[in-house]
Amino acid sequence: MGIQGLMKLIGDYSPSSVKDNGIKTYFGRKVAVDASMCLYQFLIAVRTSDGVLTSSDGEETSHLVGMFYRTIRMVENGIKPVYVFDGKPPDMKSGELVKRSEKRAEAQKNLAEAQEKGDFENVERFQKRMVKVTPKHSEDCQRLLTLMGIPYIKAPCEAEAQCAELVKGGKVFATATEDMDALTFGSSILLRHLTASEQKKLPIREITLDHLLTDIGLTQSQFVDLCILLGCDYCDSVKGVGPAKGLSLIRQYGSIEKIMSNNPKLNFPENWPYEEARQLFMSPEVVKADSVELKWSKPDEAGLVQFMVEDKGFRCVIINFSLNEIICAYSEDRIRNGVRKLEKCKEGATQGRLDSFFTKLPSPATASKRKATGEHGHGPMRKKSKLSTPLLHKKK
Amino acid sequence: MFEAKLAQSSLLKKVLDALREIVEDANLDCSSDGIKCQAMDSSHVALVSFDLSSDGFEPYRCDRNITLGLKLATMTRVLKCAGNDDSITLRSQDNTDTLTVLFESPNQDKTSQFEVKLMDIDTEHLGIPESEYSAVVQLPSGEFQRICRDLSQFGDSLVIACTKDGVEFSGSGEIGSAKISLRQHSMVDKEDEQVTVELNQPVTLTFSTRYLVSFSKATPLSSSVTLSLKAETPLVVEYRISDVGHLRYYLAPKIGDDEETEHIDDCS
Repeated sequence: MGIQGLMKLIGDYSPSSVKDNGIKTYFGRKVAVDASMCLYQFLIAVRTSDGVLTSSDGEETSHLVGMFYRTIRMVENGIKPVYVFDGKPPDMKSGELVKRSEKRAEAQKNLAEAQEKGDFENVERFQKRMVKVTPKHSEDCQRLLTLMGIPYIKAPCEAEAQCAELVKGGKVFATATEDMDALTFGSSILLRHLTASEQKKLPIREITLDHLLTDIGLTQSQFVDLCILLGCDYCDSVKGVGPAKGLSLIRQYGSIEKIMSNNPKLNFPENWPYEEARQLFMSPEVVKADSVELKWSKPDEAGLVQFMVEDKGFRCVIINFSLNEIICAYSEDRIRNGVRKLEKCKEGATQGRLDSFFTKLPSPATASKRKATGEHGHGPMRKKSKLSTPLLHKKK
Repeated sequence: MFEAKLAQSSLLKKVLDALREIVEDANLDCSSDGIKCQAMDSSHVALVSFDLSSDGFEPYRCDRNITLGLKLATMTRVLKCAGNDDSITLRSQDNTDTLTVLFESPNQDKTSQFEVKLMDIDTEHLGIPESEYSAVVQLPSGEFQRICRDLSQFGDSLVIACTKDGVEFSGSGEIGSAKISLRQHSMVDKEDEQVTVELNQPVTLTFSTRYLVSFSKATPLSSSVTLSLKAETPLVVEYRISDVGHLRYYLAPKIGDDEETEHIDDCS
């Protein structure tokens, strides 16, 4: 999933492009959420001790529970989410997809073994590995979102690419996903952990693409090449090239073609389709941001109760999030409660943000940090610069 | 080397208390002109800034611009140790990461000195354009505090409406609604108690009551407060600090539920 070692590279070479913020910081922001990633998370995380949540007739419901509560959490904090669902996978991804289904098949085998042995810890582990997001899951969630009054988009192809398009087109502020290739697709801001469970108390990690590119001294197209070198979902990576080596190669030669012609000794895969991968990252198949209209509307209370309680059988189930905590018994009341929360946020006028009225200035501190990057060439920026200010204690 | 002495330590305490309503940490930017600060709350709805001119300090020395990153809770602790009439001196040597705070009693027979560790705070600075406001209201700060507190019992939003007759504050919620009107009046002998409305154009704006209540905690700084309003522009709440400068709060208004008018800024 994503780009191998990219987070490590960012941490090493551009720590200042990463910021940890509380969820409140994103108040009033519209955010494109990678729905497939969330569904996967929910299917894994929201489960009881004997597996996923199911309705009385055995249908999985974990994804709906997760979607319902975590969307409410975002809305309560003033965030306006828009979910983006995956379309058909690009042909290039078939290799990766085969690998994934092989992994699942293996998990299935191991699962059978573990079940025979009565090894419950492993049973759960392998069950989680077998999780697959099916079109049925997506349909359920789309129905749920419609009832909740939250907009969603079906991407023609990759969801991350569609999210990036929405960010670039100014329709939303950021992309929320755990998948780092949102940056490769060109989302100027990536938020991680936005849909994580509240219990984990994870801060939201914000990665700013422009800042990252300035720090590592690459253009967007060079960055795409770097990501392909490191290993993406679409083609094999180059053996023996990790974050540090990859970055120095790109800085030295500027593109994959030049690296290949200058370093024949490197272990490039045969028939390496890097050009197609690059094409996919640079101009993916997306719905143009201009033609997308996002509308947040009032939740349909009766519809939600009908769907969740009657159709999906949400009645007094005790769920146990992966932390072995008994969270709640939930039923019609809980659904109605959620609707109250959604409605409350829709009520009356919305609070504006100051930065939509005033222009943001580069803060003096950041400016001096940036200058320092220039002076020190492109060396690692692990140390905080201390130019005019004798400030050493990094705020924690 | 930076050194600034203020005859009244209580003034700095009031300023920092007013800051603490909005943020936990703040960068004080010191230059030869004086001490400035701008800080935004975490949800980017409110901003507080102050400007203390070097004229208010005696002596004041700032050889080169420095930024003092302060944890406000720490500063409050230190300032609690000051006597009511003590003077305060802030001092920071170049290339150190500490701030020295010195209190001296009026007759100089007691001094207390504290070293405060500085922090590197990552902040966003906003450029605030000069603006011609539709209405500028001046009223006693105590009155403003009272109004905010009273109306906070009636819902989350407070509407401020300025007309040629005066200014009206109103709020409504589940239990009912409330309306408080102030008429323009001037008393020649008590300038601080007068209510004035300078009006270019009638204006009505809605704000979050919670923030206004927080702002009004700055009341001890000044006996009167100025509210500047303009449609689709953040409200400015200004407390003048006599002889030294001012402290201002900015608050983004609540906007109608019209999706199209919402503006998404790109944050680079």
